[in-house]
Amino acid sequence: MTDDLDQIARMLDEGAPVTPGEPPAGVLEPWEVFRQEKDGDAMRHGGNVLAPDAELALHYARELFGRRGESIRLWVVRRADIHVLEDLDLLQPPLDRSFKKPGGYVMRDKLAAARGRAGTSKPGARAASHDGTGRRSEGER
Amino acid sequence: MTDPLALDPVLPPRERSERSARRWNEDLPHDERYEHFEAHVLGGGKIEPNDWMPDEYRSAVLRFVEMHANSELMGVLPEREWIMRAPTLRRKLALTSKVQDEVGHAQLLYRVAEDLGKPREAMFDDLLAGKTKFHNVFHYPTRTWADIGVIAWLVDAAAIVAQQALRDSSYGPYSRTMQKICWEESVHIMHGRDVVVTLANGTTAQREMLQEALDRWWGPLMQMHGPRSDRSKDRDLHWRIKARTSEELRQEFLTIYVPRILELGLTIPDPELAYDKAAGEWRYADPDWNELRTVVTNHGPKSQERLEFRRLNREATAWVRAAVLAEPKAAA
Amino acid sequence: MTATTIASALDAPTRTALAGFLLAMADDEFVIGFSDSEWTGIAPILEEDVAMSSIAQDELGHARALYELLAGLLDDGRDADALAYDREPEAYRHARLLDHGRGDWAMTIARRFLYDTADAARLASIGAGWPPLAELVAKIRREERYHAMHALAWVDRLARAGGEARARFVAALDELARDAPSVLATPGGEAALLEAGILGRSMAAAFDAWRSDVAGVLRPLMTPLALEPAADAARHRAAPSDDFRWLWGEFTSVRRSEPGATW
Repeated sequence: MTDDLDQIARMLDEGAPVTPGEPPAGVLEPWEVFRQEKDGDAMRHGGNVLAPDAELALHYARELFGRRGESIRLWVVRRADIHVLEDLDLLQPPLDRSFKKPGGYVMRDKLAAARGRAGTSKPGARAASHDGTGRRSEGER
Repeated sequence: MTDPLALDPVLPPRERSERSARRWNEDLPHDERYEHFEAHVLGGGKIEPNDWMPDEYRSAVLRFVEMHANSELMGVLPEREWIMRAPTLRRKLALTSKVQDEVGHAQLLYRVAEDLGKPREAMFDDLLAGKTKFHNVFHYPTRTWADIGVIAWLVDAAAIVAQQALRDSSYGPYSRTMQKICWEESVHIMHGRDVVVTLANGTTAQREMLQEALDRWWGPLMQMHGPRSDRSKDRDLHWRIKARTSEELRQEFLTIYVPRILELGLTIPDPELAYDKAAGEWRYADPDWNELRTVVTNHGPKSQERLEFRRLNREATAWVRAAVLAEPKAAA
Repeated sequence: MTATTIASALDAPTRTALAGFLLAMADDEFVIGFSDSEWTGIAPILEEDVAMSSIAQDELGHARALYELLAGLLDDGRDADALAYDREPEAYRHARLLDHGRGDWAMTIARRFLYDTADAARLASIGAGWPPLAELVAKIRREERYHAMHALAWVDRLARAGGEARARFVAALDELARDAPSVLATPGGEAALLEAGILGRSMAAAFDAWRSDVAGVLRPLMTPLALEPAADAARHRAAPSDDFRWLWGEFTSVRRSEPGATW
């Protein structure tokens, strides 16, 4: 047997996709498809397919979301296995949480005052920044 | 120079508006929920499958998407006949791939419709029983290889004009599906135009074949987007299920494609067709709306034959579905 | 380096044998690709429709690449399209297995399974003796992995389904078993191909490997198929079937309507 076939036959024998004891016939149900476009990208939701089991769901995901070479990795997840949280009271609580975000810290005036007191000047633009605001030093805005 | 980031250091509380966006999902009286829903949709918001939506919205989206899905499925048939006749290896690959894409689009769109509550089999039942419709252009015969070029170029172009506008649809799954579909359709237009340009550069017989195909397809193309409609009375527009009127779509199609057709030395079979600079729009002979009505009610030249073909095919492959698909579990 | 220049290093009998071998492989892929492409738009499940069409397109892509190699080898002014399309039906060298019409889904799956496994055994037999072919085969084998996965997934489902599905599938396998070995019939000039390292093993050895592959897949599912080595002359029918004549009439119809035109 050729290597490829051997490998595939083993995959079938080991039967990962089909739960043992279950007949091969399944209910046609939606599987959500996630795809990664290139190395390092996040997995993004692509859409969904109807399939009777995980094996065919992967085959169909390949066809519907990968046949132009637009994906390097696919996940399929049975829709029934997805649990959803979309309660905005939990996800977007109403009270102030600006202390959790870089934009919540304003110290331009305070820094100017501190420099005045210390008799120093503003550092050059090459000073490192870790707050995602480019070449500006922390909190200086 | 003012540093723009210095002006408003604390992020604006945009969370507030998003937070209130889905208020209609909460336990509110119907009228209040409806108001929230309308405000959200009219304000440019998207609706997701699990959101509460008025029955009228659900059925309007379903009707719209279902007809679109039916059109992709039936649209396979006129071109499919030529998959077996494609005259070079590259054309064979391109046409097979194009028809495959239409099947793929039917799958994506039926999935959107299914999630609105109508099973795929029920949609096939209604299509084959003539209860639901498909687009006019797919009720006509394909007589020559030139039809394959004209369909892939101009029918797909007319469709993509409409589909691009649908990327802004208020129904989230539909708008996302249209983004993917538009990306794929752009390849079809290139394939179609390449076939057309090759024929235009070809022998006398090939050029005649091309002109003859254009003559036959022009009428259906002009009818495809439908008659002018009253924007204020169009519920699909009101709810932003679709974004543009039929006339806007037709005008855009003419603006882009008339010059590209004429540059090939082809004649457009409408002596009244001309751009009215003063009015800023195209003038054209009134399309035959009776023909459109006749055709989309399944009385077109190929309507019954194609529906019958689908019926027979569905019967002939039923055993396969029965073999791999169990009956849905009663308890599930 | 082009196929033409590399081919000039081969002696005449080897070149003739290689051309025959390439033509047979290309015709196999071309004919099964054409047959299976007919499912586009009418397969049993929409998702499956897209899958079968991809497989058909892959096969046609393999055919195109093989005809291109052959065109370089022959160097007689014919391009891949001319080789693929501009012959009389009797001049095609596809295996008898592929001379059957598309048939129903069971026939299609049975033929795909028998062909994919036989083709895998053939591809695995190709050595490094002629680099253009060896390089192409390495790519083709990567694409064939999916075909094998797809065919085996369906073989398993149809065979285990019982009832009508199993009956149709078993009948299709029985009908095709007689012709399936034709894919691996000994090609003309095989000794020269082996000598040049273009083949790493004989088709008889490939046949043995294929027979045990098929038996391994089917053993848990049904009584084994009787697969007997094909007689050398039996690879293709001297007189093509009506199914192939119909297919030929279709795929040449546009080209014949305006001979010599560009499409």
